[in-house]
Amino acid sequence: MALIPAPSTPTSDGTDFRDPDLRLSGLLDPGSMAPVGPVDGCGVTRVTGLIDGAPVVAFCTDATSMGGALGAAGADRIVEAIEFAVEHGRPVIGVWHCGGARLTDGVESMDGAGRMFRAMTAASGRVPQISVVVGPAAGAAAYGPALTDFVIMSEAARVFVTGPDVVRAVTGETIDMAGLGGPEPHGTRSGVAHVAVGSEAEAYRTARALTGYFARPGAVAPGTLGDCADPAGLLPESPRRAYNVVPLVRALLDDDTFLQIQPRWARNMVVGLGRLAGRSIGVVANNPLYKAGCLDSLSAEKAARFVRTCDALGVPLLVVVDVPGYLPGVSQEWDGVVRRGAKLLHAFSETVVPRITLITRKSYGGAYLAMNSRPLGADVVLAWPDAEVAVMGAEAAVNVLHRRVLAAADAAELPELRRRLIGEQQRKAGGLGRALSLGAVDEVVAPADTRRRLARALEDLPPRRGAHGNIPL
Amino acid sequence: MPQQILADITAHVGQVLVTEGTTVTAGDTLAILESMKMEIPVEADTAGTVTKLAVIEGDVLREGALIAEIS
Repeated sequence: MALIPAPSTPTSDGTDFRDPDLRLSGLLDPGSMAPVGPVDGCGVTRVTGLIDGAPVVAFCTDATSMGGALGAAGADRIVEAIEFAVEHGRPVIGVWHCGGARLTDGVESMDGAGRMFRAMTAASGRVPQISVVVGPAAGAAAYGPALTDFVIMSEAARVFVTGPDVVRAVTGETIDMAGLGGPEPHGTRSGVAHVAVGSEAEAYRTARALTGYFARPGAVAPGTLGDCADPAGLLPESPRRAYNVVPLVRALLDDDTFLQIQPRWARNMVVGLGRLAGRSIGVVANNPLYKAGCLDSLSAEKAARFVRTCDALGVPLLVVVDVPGYLPGVSQEWDGVVRRGAKLLHAFSETVVPRITLITRKSYGGAYLAMNSRPLGADVVLAWPDAEVAVMGAEAAVNVLHRRVLAAADAAELPELRRRLIGEQQRKAGGLGRALSLGAVDEVVAPADTRRRLARALEDLPPRRGAHGNIPL
Repeated sequence: MPQQILADITAHVGQVLVTEGTTVTAGDTLAILESMKMEIPVEADTAGTVTKLAVIEGDVLREGALIAEIS
C-alpha cells in the first residue's frame, strides 16, 4: 500500500500538530490524560482520560513517524486499549492519521490489523467505539474506523481502501484524495462519515459530544421540561406539502441537544442523538423534504444501523413518522429494497430498549410497519390528532378498490364520482379510528403536550439493552 | 464551480419560483415538485445566483435530472 506523504508541519515553536499527545489532549478534559503502556515507537499512543468527567480510553496513531503507518506492535497496542475499555466498561475513542500498513513489517502488519479488527468486533455493542479521522486513513486504517460505531471526519480526513494512484493505474479514473475519500464524498455519497466537520478541534468537540450521550446518559427529569412550545406550527397547513422534519425533531428534544448523524446522506431519513428531559435518546424520523419522505433502500439501511447502535448501547428510541410508503421504481427493486428494507424490519423487531413512536401526519402501508409499529414491538405509539394510519392514502385506495366503476363512468361525471368515493374511503378507513381500536395506536396526543407525554413514557419504561454487536450494515 | 440542484425523486414540476439571474440564499425554495401525491419544495443548499434553470412547469423529471445551477 502506498504511503501518503504527510504535510511538513512543525511550527515555529517546535510543536507538531500531529503529535499524538497534543491530539489526545485536544480530545480529553484538560489535565486528565494519563499514558498507558510504554513509549516505544510502536506508532500508537494509548491513554486514559476524562470527557466531561466521564472516564474513557483513547488511542492515536503517530503521524510524526512514517506517516502514522500501522505495524504489528501498533495494532496490538490498539487491541490492548480496546480490551482495557471493555474490561472497565468505558467508551474507546481512536484518533486516526495513518497511511496504512507498515511496509517494513511485511505480512506481520497485516496480521496485526486483523487482530485489531477482531478486537473491535468483539467489543462491538459492549462499549461505545468512536473514531476521529483527522488525516489520511487508508486500507487497515480505513476499515478500523469503519468497524466502530461512529466515524467523525475532519476536513483533512481522507479515507479509502486504495488511493488515487492505484485507482488511476487500474481503472483509468483520475481523482484527487479529497474527491475520492474526503468528508464531502463520505458525507454525501458513501455514508462512511457519520459526522463530517471542519477543523480538527471541531472533530474532537464532536467526539466529546457524541461520547456524552453514552457515557452520561442521564435520567428522565420531567420537572425540567418547563413550558413547551407548540410544535404543530412546524407542519405546513396543507397535508400534501412537504417540509423539513429537523426543526420538528429539535422542538421535541431539549434545547440544543440534537446531533444529527449522516445528515447529508440518505436525507429522506433523519437519525441522530439528543436528550429528552435530560435523558439521552436516539431519534429516527422520516424527512418529507427529500424523496417525499419515502422509505427506500439506503434510508432503510441507514435507519437500521442506527437503531441497532442505540439498542446495543442502551439508548432509548423516539421514532417520528410521516411516511407515504416505499419509493417505487425499477432502480429501487434492483438496488435490493427488499433485502435492505428487511434490515430495518429486523432491527426494530429485535430491539429491546424503550422505543416510542409518534405519528405526526401519515403512516401508510409497509412503511407504516417498518417505522417502529406496534406489531414490531413498539412500547408506546402516539399520534397527533390529524394523523392518518392506513394501507394507503384514500385517493390511491379508491383507484384500486373502484377501478371498474371508475373505468365505466361517464367522463363528465368522473371528477364528482371520484371525489365522492374518496370522501367515503376517508370516512371508512382514514384517520386514526381503526388504528386506535386495533391497538396499533395507543392514544392521541396534542402537539403541545407531546414533550411531556414522551418524557412520561420514557420515565415509565424499564431501561434495557440489546445483547448483540453493532455490525456496520 | 456552480452547484447543481438535482431532482432526488422522479417527479412532475408543479411550480418554478425563480428565473435565471434570481439571487437566492440557502433554504430558499426554487421549485415545487409533485411526487407520491406530495408537493416537495426544492431548496437551495447555498447562497448565490441562479445561473441556469433547466426546467419549466409541467416537466416530468427523472431522478437525478438537473433542475438548476447556482453560482
